[in-house]
Amino acid sequence: MSMIFRRTIPIVIVFVTSLLLLLAFFVTIPGIDLKATETMLLNWGVILSAFCLGFGAVNLFIFQGRHILRRTKGQWPFSIWMLIVIVVFTVVGVLTGSSSTEYTWLYNSSYFALSATVYSSLGFYMTSGIYRALRAKNIESGLLLIVGIIALARNAPAVAAAFPPIIPWEAWISAVPTTSAQRGIMIGASLGAIALGIRTMIGRETGFLGKLTEAEKGG
Amino acid sequence: MFVTGRIFAAGMLVAIWIIVLAAMELAKKNLPIFRKLAGLDAIPEMVGRAAETGKPVHFTTGLGELNTNVASQLVAGLSVLAYVSEMCANLGVKIIYSVYQSQVMPIATELMKSAYTSAGRLEDFDPEDQIRFLSDSQFAYASAVQGIAEREHPAANIMIGPFYAESMLFAETFYRIGSIQLAGTARGYQIPFFAVVCDYLLIAEEIYAAGAYLSKDPVLAGSIRGQDIGKFIAMILMIVGLILTALGNPAITNLLKM
Repeated sequence: MSMIFRRTIPIVIVFVTSLLLLLAFFVTIPGIDLKATETMLLNWGVILSAFCLGFGAVNLFIFQGRHILRRTKGQWPFSIWMLIVIVVFTVVGVLTGSSSTEYTWLYNSSYFALSATVYSSLGFYMTSGIYRALRAKNIESGLLLIVGIIALARNAPAVAAAFPPIIPWEAWISAVPTTSAQRGIMIGASLGAIALGIRTMIGRETGFLGKLTEAEKGG
Repeated sequence: MFVTGRIFAAGMLVAIWIIVLAAMELAKKNLPIFRKLAGLDAIPEMVGRAAETGKPVHFTTGLGELNTNVASQLVAGLSVLAYVSEMCANLGVKIIYSVYQSQVMPIATELMKSAYTSAGRLEDFDPEDQIRFLSDSQFAYASAVQGIAEREHPAANIMIGPFYAESMLFAETFYRIGSIQLAGTARGYQIPFFAVVCDYLLIAEEIYAAGAYLSKDPVLAGSIRGQDIGKFIAMILMIVGLILTALGNPAITNLLKM
């Protein structure tokens, strides 16, 4: 029975839904509204996702609650703060609605500002990463160094103004070698995704379903 | 019957489907040889290092959800998670899976549970501690992963799936704490970031081949051969298209627009 529940049924569901979505994308059948079926299936996905969000929230409470109970060093005060924030957001959201002034203020004053801060810090991470990458250790890294310098110099307005020929150089690097390499990667990735899709649809790629135990294989 | 503009794409999809299935059948008789994927071959070394140092292994599948166009990258990441979980269970190494998509949690729970069961170490599996839903907001999730890196100092960090702006935040933070890193994504804009910081990299299609590569299943390996034939067809179309277009013949362009 386990084999049926854990393998056969999920694979059949994957096959049928994938086939329906593929058909809805490529064909129109008179008398059958495939688009409506597609929308319905996608809505089911949204509903299941929303349900899983509750599962995620429970996980958060259990995980942070454990830290509080154990007084985990350097962690438990943050866990308390996190649970308080979750409760405050939930209460305000449920009582006033997610588009209310109160909720918007709460969101913009806390999460929005913090999110922008984290995003801004990306510049520093990029700088330290590129500092290590731009070292001419071999031919490839030497090429990366040259191209990197051209791109950096082109995007510095003073350099581009003082030395205008750098503008078409950088434009050529972006339009020709970079774009062609990106397209090559994209074609390879698309074919890889198709092959993975086929393996998943026919039930050969089941890594994401986990391994069967000997008892389940026998069951 | 066919939607205009998608006839050629549908034909190519069916053709590749047939080629992949045929290649899978042929592989039963003649096992294809895989090109070595250093990143996947390094996983035992990464888990082994974690076992020696007594530190955990961190795994994440990035952003993106199962009902979006990056779902295939997520599924590829989960296949690797299954493999890494079993290896960690065998060696008694704690694996932490950071989750952005709550919808993945039930799948990951089942997957890791079966990996621990298969290793005969189910008692070591603690889903609430090992599968952590962090947030479904990008930078809250990114900050939480950075927090895990700073507090728990994982010996290895494996990132396979769709990544966005957080890629550099993760790669640099884990680099700073000295983790060995394996990253893989099919998102072209993030590949360079991973390439400059991480120890091992899986580029685009390699993440989709990961499940087949790690399973050592000849039939799955056959599908990779089929995929390569598809690539060959794409190259022929490009070369013929280039020549014909240069000669002023729009046949290939018209074919692609069908």
